[in-house]
Amino acid sequence: MLKVYLFIQYKYYKHVYPPDFAYYIPNSIYEAVDFLGRYDNARPLAGGQSLLPMLKLRLLNVDYIVDLNPLKELDYVSLNKDYMEIGALTRYYEVLKSSIVNEKLPLLSMVIRKVGDMQVRNMGTIAGSLANADPASDTCAVTLVFDADIVTTSSSGNRVIKARDFFKGPFTTALAKDEIVTAIRYPILEGYKFNFVKVVRRAGDYPLVSVAVAVKLKDGVIEDLRLGYAGVSQTPYRPFEVEKSFIGKSLKDSIEDIVSKVVEGVNPPSDTRGSSSYRKEVMRNVTRKALREVMG
Amino acid sequence: MGVLANKGEKVKVRVRVNGVWYERYVSPRMLLVDFLRDELGLTGTKVGCDTTTCGACTVIMNGRSVKSCTVLAVQANGADILTIEGLAQDSKLHPIQQAFMDNFALQCGYCTPGMIMQTYFLLKENPNPTEEEIRDGLHGNICRCTGYQNIINAVKDAAGRMRS
Repeated sequence: MLKVYLFIQYKYYKHVYPPDFAYYIPNSIYEAVDFLGRYDNARPLAGGQSLLPMLKLRLLNVDYIVDLNPLKELDYVSLNKDYMEIGALTRYYEVLKSSIVNEKLPLLSMVIRKVGDMQVRNMGTIAGSLANADPASDTCAVTLVFDADIVTTSSSGNRVIKARDFFKGPFTTALAKDEIVTAIRYPILEGYKFNFVKVVRRAGDYPLVSVAVAVKLKDGVIEDLRLGYAGVSQTPYRPFEVEKSFIGKSLKDSIEDIVSKVVEGVNPPSDTRGSSSYRKEVMRNVTRKALREVMG
Repeated sequence: MGVLANKGEKVKVRVRVNGVWYERYVSPRMLLVDFLRDELGLTGTKVGCDTTTCGACTVIMNGRSVKSCTVLAVQANGADILTIEGLAQDSKLHPIQQAFMDNFALQCGYCTPGMIMQTYFLLKENPNPTEEEIRDGLHGNICRCTGYQNIINAVKDAAGRMRS
C-alpha cells in the first residue's frame, strides 16, 4: 500500500472530493468505540491531516466517519511522576506550546517541530499519526524511541500497548476494530542526550530517512542507546539488538561500527523518493551525523 | 446517543466567517474551502494543490491557521473563521496586505491569500520573528513565481508595522 500511495500521490491526482460517507458525532468515547464496533468500514477522525488526503486520493474508502473532535476530554497534557501523558486530541500545536513538554521531553519537541508544516500541526495529533502508522512518520519513530505506552479504549475497556508492539506493518497497528488510541504516555528520559536528523527531498515532504537518537553516556561510555528510524522499513524501525550490543562501549570509538551495523536488519522500500540501496546509504549518513553531533 | 447522518444526508453547519454567522446544510464530505467558496461565495481563498501541500487555501479557524482543503466543513461547525476578505477594515488594507503590496511580494497573486493568512497567524504567535522563523512559519505555503525573498521582506515589514 505504501508504494501505491507514494506513486499515486503526485502523479494521478485530480481535484476530487472525499468519497461519500456517513458521519457520526459521538457524545462520549464509549459511544465512539461502540459505533466503530457495530459498523463495518468505519474510521475515527481526529485532526484529519492524513485521513482526509488519503480519502481524497482514493487510497482509502470509508463508509462511516466517527468524528472524535467533540470529545474535548481527550485534549490535555499532564505530567506524572515518571511519564508525560498526552491526550489523543491534543494538537501538535498544543504539545509544542506546552512548556513542560519542551522541558521534560526535548526529543519529542525536536521531532514534532518538524512534522508537516505549521498549518498541519495546528490540526494534526500525535495519536492520529500513531493510529495511521505511516512507515515514514517521524512521530511513530520517536514514539518507538521512547517505547511509549499507548493507551487505548475499546468496548471492552482500556489497555496499554507498548510502542514496540503497536506497529504491525505499513498503515497497520495492533488496534482492534472497536479500539481507539486515547492517550500516549512518554517516559521521561533523564540524563540522556538527544538528536534528530532528517533528510527530506522537498520542504514539507515525508522524510526519505530520519533518525531520532537518545543516548545515555557515562564518561563517554554508552549506558543506553536508542535509535528510531522512519522511512527505512515497513514500520518505524529500531535496531534493538544493535543498540544492546554497544552498551558498555565508548561511543566515540563505536560510531563507525554502529553505522555499519544499523543497516543490516532492514530492507528499505524503493519508491519515487529513493531506491532501497540509496536509503541504506542515507541511513548510514544520518546515523553518523546524529551520533557525531551528540558527541559535541 | 450521538448523531448519525447517513450517506446522502446533509448536516447543518453554523460558522462565523469574518464576523458574520452563516448556516447551511451540507454533505459531510464537503471541504471547508469549498464551503467558503461555493456556499458563501468567498472566493478569495484559493484551491491550489488540494493535497495539503501548497497552503493557498489557508484560513484562520478559531485563531489558528489551517489548510481549508484538508478540513471538513462539518469540522468547522461552531467555529470562528477569518478569511482574506475579513482583513481590511473600513476600506483600509490590513498592515500585512499593505506590506505585501509595498514590497512587491506577489506576481501572479494566487498564493497571496494563503501567504497573508499564514503571516497573520505567524505574527500573532510571534510578533517579532527572525528570518529563520519566518521561513519556517511559511514553509507550508508555496509560491511558484519564486517570490519568496520579497514575501519574507514583506513579513518583516508587516511585523514592524504591526508592532508600532
